[in-house]
Amino acid sequence: MSRSYQQELEYIERLDVNSFRIKKGFVPNMKVEGVFYVNDPLERLMLDELRNSCRTGGYGGFLPGVKQIANVAALPGIVGRSVGLPDIHSGYGFAIGNMAAFDMADPKAVVSPGGVGFDINCGVRLLRTNLTEKDIQPVKEQLAQCMFDHIPVGVGSKGIIPMAARDLEEALEMGMDWSLREGYAWAEDKEHCEEYGRMLQADPSKVSARAKKRGLPQLGTLGAGNHYAEIQVVEEIYDKFAAKKMGIEFEGQVCCMIHCGSRGLGHQVATDALVAMEKAMKRDKIEVNDRQLACAHINSQEGQDYLKGMAGAANYAWVNRSSMTFLCRQAFAKMFQTTPDDLDMQMIYDVSHNIAKVEEHFIDGKQKTLLVHRKGSTRAFPPHHPLIPVDYQLTGQPVLIGGTMGTCSYVLTGTEVGMESTFGTTCHGAGRALSRAKSRRNIGYDQVLQSLQEKGISIRVASPKLVMEEAPESYKNVTDVVDTCHKAGISKKAIKLRPVAVIKG
Amino acid sequence: MSCSENDPEYLATDECKYEYLDHTADVQLHAWGDDLKEAFEQCAVSMFGYMTELNTVDMVDKKEIEASSDDMAGLLFQFLDECLFVFSCDPYFIVKKVRINEFNKENFTIKATCYGEEFDLDKHPQGTEVKAITYSNMQIYDKEDQHEVFVIIDI
Repeated sequence: MSRSYQQELEYIERLDVNSFRIKKGFVPNMKVEGVFYVNDPLERLMLDELRNSCRTGGYGGFLPGVKQIANVAALPGIVGRSVGLPDIHSGYGFAIGNMAAFDMADPKAVVSPGGVGFDINCGVRLLRTNLTEKDIQPVKEQLAQCMFDHIPVGVGSKGIIPMAARDLEEALEMGMDWSLREGYAWAEDKEHCEEYGRMLQADPSKVSARAKKRGLPQLGTLGAGNHYAEIQVVEEIYDKFAAKKMGIEFEGQVCCMIHCGSRGLGHQVATDALVAMEKAMKRDKIEVNDRQLACAHINSQEGQDYLKGMAGAANYAWVNRSSMTFLCRQAFAKMFQTTPDDLDMQMIYDVSHNIAKVEEHFIDGKQKTLLVHRKGSTRAFPPHHPLIPVDYQLTGQPVLIGGTMGTCSYVLTGTEVGMESTFGTTCHGAGRALSRAKSRRNIGYDQVLQSLQEKGISIRVASPKLVMEEAPESYKNVTDVVDTCHKAGISKKAIKLRPVAVIKG
Repeated sequence: MSCSENDPEYLATDECKYEYLDHTADVQLHAWGDDLKEAFEQCAVSMFGYMTELNTVDMVDKKEIEASSDDMAGLLFQFLDECLFVFSCDPYFIVKKVRINEFNKENFTIKATCYGEEFDLDKHPQGTEVKAITYSNMQIYDKEDQHEVFVIIDI
């Protein structure tokens, strides 16, 4: 039953210089085709995953990203294509870097927690400052230490923002409105956030007691893994007009990037939904190719419960990023003995890269209401789209692409091409290339630290193992990823940022 | 094999029957044992082993957990999720050893005891956070001479 690597390749066909299509039949029951965007080096990584999985013959191993794109294309109610972005790699259920849209008008259409991921509303936020690289160079080490002291990081850390059970309920319902009310956020922050930092369909009663128990001690913590807070400087401006709209005026301008999500609360919401949906699938006779792709009809009880719980978790994530923003602003203010306001620490934007949203899109010239799943991929709406803030109406939505420890990050903007070909979606980061275990074996701790030092990057990290796992060598080249998106036209490069200090779990 | 709850010999055994396998984004736990029960226990321990160095953990306290499901894969998922929950809510409890006291393979239920102590940032080095258990390519082998499991956990 299992095909050889060569046989598998017959189902994958080059569309143009930056994209491939996955034909029906690659996995059973494909309703639509798959597509993925890569350049040459990324193509090799992508196909290596497939080749390796053909070798294991079903014992151990894992599903390669291409298979996962195809499994998603087999879900009921999917429209258009199952899309893989250039940073795609094997995940669980959906691949990481995968998006798919489902027709809300189709009663068979599904919502899948596997299409959002465990870290609901994991995302990236970028703050600007009016400081220059010269201002921070002399105090860089102290600043990094100050941020590390302010922000609780790593496994087993607890939040320092006081929170009782009642506060949590309100935070789940109100998102950034809660942060604003409690004095942790600025009113302008909301304006520059997807959904204005609050998903209105959130219902805290659909978030289990278990999830709340996990969420309570962790609010205002960064977490571990690939999450980080970084001090960055503007390295290059590609689009002067867009940069100006974002308040980025000159090269060397200091920014602050925060990457984190909904912590244990979101993870548990996803886990709970997975279990509930398995039962619903048996009842409604929904067949999928991978158990991790558990799903439910959008309008079923389980589907609606998940969407309301997910929205609550999304709100939690925004509160979390707002708390981290507050701590960053405090750290900077303390270091420079002034106020965050005088440092012009405005939020440029906040993107979600693990979320499902109801959006309007055109398919074959007809407007449709779709449930768009984005997992490890970012919304990238074009100029003039009604859902993006006034400040960015002419530039398109800012898309924040976090690099890896020690590599560059990017700000992109959304385009019309992206709106038409990928439902307004682009990449989310570098995407892993090496496994964590392999990184631990092959990359030395001192070697990573030395290379960071040579690049002039200060680092504070809670777990030494993480240094190897998260070393730039473990990831795809973020520049390859971003350039592929730019060439394919699904988003446009605006700003390149270079890290000078990294704080990690 | 029978052993009383506080049998020092049982608790002292520290045979490691698990390994961490390559997976692009996450970690694949591979655990085995003389029977499926042991493979499950080892799998849970391997998950805690990713969070900290287990040799720094003392078994001064214990937590009881229960899990149930409709099939074996579901049971393994639920069992590990319960173990993760023990660590993930206040007070964080880090586990060195897991013992399954009741393992019903017909009704798919487990009762188990987790031995460990409260997580202490000054005592236990921070490893990596486990976000969740996944069904992704989960494999359970329970034959005459093969008792092993593969689980991918989300990091």
